[in-house]
Amino acid sequence: MTCAEVQRVLPELMENAPDGEFGAHLKQCPACSELVSDLKLISSEARRLAATDEPAPRVWVRIAHELKAEGLIREPGAVRPPPVPVSTGRRRWGAWWLVPVATALVVAGSYVVSHKAPSQVAQQPPAVQTPVTSTPDSLPQPQAPVAKNHATAPPDATLQAASRQSANNAQEAAEAQSPEDQQFLSEVSTRAPGMRVTYENQLRSVNAYIREAQAYLKQNPDDEDARQHLMEAYQEKTMLYRMALDHIQ
Amino acid sequence: MTDPKQGSITEAQAIERAKQGDEAAFEVLYHLHKRRVYSLCLRMLSNPAQAEDLAQEAFLQLFRKISTFRGESAFSTWLHRMTVNVVLMHLRKKGLPVVSLEETLETQEESPKKELGAEDLKLTGSIDRLQLQRAIDRLPPGYKTVFVLHDVEGFEHNEIATMVGCSIGNSKSQLHKARLKLRDHLKFMRAEKAESA
Repeated sequence: MTCAEVQRVLPELMENAPDGEFGAHLKQCPACSELVSDLKLISSEARRLAATDEPAPRVWVRIAHELKAEGLIREPGAVRPPPVPVSTGRRRWGAWWLVPVATALVVAGSYVVSHKAPSQVAQQPPAVQTPVTSTPDSLPQPQAPVAKNHATAPPDATLQAASRQSANNAQEAAEAQSPEDQQFLSEVSTRAPGMRVTYENQLRSVNAYIREAQAYLKQNPDDEDARQHLMEAYQEKTMLYRMALDHIQ
Repeated sequence: MTDPKQGSITEAQAIERAKQGDEAAFEVLYHLHKRRVYSLCLRMLSNPAQAEDLAQEAFLQLFRKISTFRGESAFSTWLHRMTVNVVLMHLRKKGLPVVSLEETLETQEESPKKELGAEDLKLTGSIDRLQLQRAIDRLPPGYKTVFVLHDVEGFEHNEIATMVGCSIGNSKSQLHKARLKLRDHLKFMRAEKAESA
């Protein structure tokens, strides 16, 4: 084995014990032997750099502040406000509309993640049905909110809306709450008024996350990580709706 | 601000309490993992201010999702991967290369080694940690990413390939080139130090 051949195979053989022709060459070639020794030393010394630096105290201060603002930190002794008592029927109707909305979010998110760029897919919209929750005949049939934004509309309209929304002024889109979000907050205000601010903050945060992930995916349509991030953003919003459902039931 | 008494509760207990909104529990989890998270960000970005911002973001993303943690995998593994994703997302947003696609940016003949007279500047034996940190900071972004993830943080090539979106072969190649560059940088530093003495 020549020095040039050693250089060529070194990336593959570095992690293994030197044997065969490779080991034999190292034994009789000081330059290659020293190179391998140096590279292994660099690798072993680098490991000692993990977890050596300490962040400034302000990092925790900022994290704690944000956690409090989002309601993830609760004051000691704070009691969850009891759910506002309402009639069973209206309560069941009022809460269950969240289920198809939450499901639609996951369906839309899964579709975006599993397919190519939204602009490509929008031309051939799939037939995906938003599930409808069944209720007793005596109760009014819950109507899924008319979807105006990407998060709750059927996937074909969702994807087209996502493309259009990304092309529009992002700042204007960022400021407006969708009708579904407004209805969501309205339900929370009615049934768990003490949690309104918390959910509003969390909704703002997750919507910003979704917009950010959408914009990034639009710029990088073939990026798998970008699609995964968008999926995670949708899942986060789904979790938020489900948390509210648990809370107000 | 003083460190909380981490020995008073276990990480698992802190996680359960954090799910209930216990601030002290969040703080325990933060102090347990702050160094690893921050160091990873700092190694990959070479910028303390940006590293602080991204470390903060990684912890916030983790804490927002803590209610979903079921303990199937190690909490530290979860946090570690989340931190890497946060940093890689940041690099992509800034248009910085996460991994170099060029297989041959420079040949060995172009490396500084031949100018040094390397026989008198053996690297073996010891490496100054500060010099190694500075040498890592000087690596091109693509090489730095793979080197930090593999040699500093301990990820395997198949994991790195998945995270950064390259092949396993490319990951190994980038790592090798990074180590070669570091070797050259360290020898230069040693030569400069010897000349100034």
